Amino acid sequence: MVSFTMRVPGCLALAAVPFLISLAGGAVKDLGPKLPPRVLDWKASGDDAVYDRTTLYDYMDGGAEVYLAFGFREVLVRKYADAAGDELVLDIYDMGSPAEAFGMFSCDRQDPEAGLGQGSEYGPGLLRFWRGRYFVSVTVSGNEDKAEAAVLALGKAVAPLLGPDGALPDMLGLLPAAGLQAGRTAYFHDQVHLSNRYFISAENILNLSGKTECVFAEYRAASGDSHRLLIVRYPAAAEAEAAARSFRSAFLPGSDAEGVARTESKGWSAVRSEGRLLAAVFEASSKDEAVRLAAEALRPAK
Amino acid sequence: MTSPMTRRDFIRGTTVAVLGASAALGQETAPQVPKTRVVLVRDPDALDADSAFNEPVIQRMLDEAVMKLVGQADPVEAFKRLVRPEDVVGIKTNVWSFLPTPAAVEKAIRRRVLDAGVAEEAVGLDDHTVRTNPLFVKATALINARPIRTHYLAGMSGCIKNYIMFAESQEAHHPDSCASLGSLFLLPQVKGKTRLNVLCALTPQFHGRGPHNFSRRYVWNYKGLIVGLDPVAVDSVGLRLIMAKRRLELGPAQEIPPVPKHIQLADTRYGIGTADPAKIELVKLGWLDDVLI
Repeated sequence: MVSFTMRVPGCLALAAVPFLISLAGGAVKDLGPKLPPRVLDWKASGDDAVYDRTTLYDYMDGGAEVYLAFGFREVLVRKYADAAGDELVLDIYDMGSPAEAFGMFSCDRQDPEAGLGQGSEYGPGLLRFWRGRYFVSVTVSGNEDKAEAAVLALGKAVAPLLGPDGALPDMLGLLPAAGLQAGRTAYFHDQVHLSNRYFISAENILNLSGKTECVFAEYRAASGDSHRLLIVRYPAAAEAEAAARSFRSAFLPGSDAEGVARTESKGWSAVRSEGRLLAAVFEASSKDEAVRLAAEALRPAK
Repeated sequence: MTSPMTRRDFIRGTTVAVLGASAALGQETAPQVPKTRVVLVRDPDALDADSAFNEPVIQRMLDEAVMKLVGQADPVEAFKRLVRPEDVVGIKTNVWSFLPTPAAVEKAIRRRVLDAGVAEEAVGLDDHTVRTNPLFVKATALINARPIRTHYLAGMSGCIKNYIMFAESQEAHHPDSCASLGSLFLLPQVKGKTRLNVLCALTPQFHGRGPHNFSRRYVWNYKGLIVGLDPVAVDSVGLRLIMAKRRLELGPAQEIPPVPKHIQLADTRYGIGTADPAKIELVKLGWLDDVLI
């Protein structure tokens, strides 16, 4: 049985008070009155619901940790239904900061850009975008093709409510530009997101935690080969050094003095640390490429 | 101390490393030991053109699988090898709204349990309230039935994870990629009672996205059931299926779902079954097109 931390009466959801609220520091429930009561043939259905860090498990079966591993604060859930009984579900997540909102968006990008907010994507049955400190998803239960226009219209109505825009994580600036597949870059903190993005180990050999910041990027060489780069920023240099040793021991036990080895994928992997940063390269087409990418990622003051 | 399982282990030995190292080592010299039988049965008519479940076909699939599993030529006789008339039988289903255990599977199991002589009032079906459901509290036999899908933390939701509703705290099993799920089978309410595991691969989900880790795009009509007495062996086979589909659809980089370590640990840490593919006899029945494993 689902329990709600807070229900917002439907009559409020239908009221229009666009002048009332600046959302910059407000609670996510305050968004409810500003949301459209109707989108094309879809009408708001039932009460809005709000879940916070302690109640998110009531809303998600097994998915809450994905959000809790970021700075998630609370989510507003609004449902829309059409005459056939199909349903759109609008989730507006207050992730606590623009960096965390981008992170939530970035970890699961697979569809074409939808032109909403500061970054978006749409594929059948799923719209995702972020703006400011908010991450938004619209999901469809029922006929996904029929719902497409309404999903995108809802997104267009919601995105302006979430401003102002926010800054991207500064760690993105560490990524070497040449060959970077920018739309595939993910920002996160924890092992759970690394494992979902690119499985490295069943154990937390890099000692990732809520205190670490990670960017995971994909690169394409001129030859067409693709390889991957992980940069981790630790709270202290000693932690980065320890993680590099741990990674070398667990993942690259045969690595040379430069921390480079050829792996079973036929590609080259490398690990290095410098100050608070660690860089790990996967599946590079040559040893030189692996070394170059790791070194570039760690070069100071870019 | 053993080295942690890594991506390199997967590539080196495909799924062997995550599911038990012995298969990769000394296969020719290893002593012959009885293997754990798992039956995969598929039928192209298990779903109709509108993807509705075909109850008679699914009944037949279950019957064939269980007959093969226990070596009986008649489905009722086969089920009599699993449950006794005096048993109280709890069918642990899964009601996750996006991909529940199909009613056709629930009905097929229930029918054969009744055919085997169990009284109607001694057969129950439940998911979220199994810990307190009076029938499940006094159950002498459990049948474990759920769909196969990927899971953001556990890597895969299969028969092992299906018992999480027996836990006093579900969240307590979330850390370390749900590593402790195997312990659920050692709970007093559960231990030694599971007579059959039916992993529904009729419409498996090979990848999860969105707030509930579900998107219809990543569900396909495989039209199969994976059936066994050992939940770990059943899940081990299920994981191979998920990985094969992920490799096909998402590419080698995403072949491995996030850390499905609980399957291996159910074997090596909790001793509730067999995860090593080399120790599993996979019997395939019926339709073999795009079987993947």
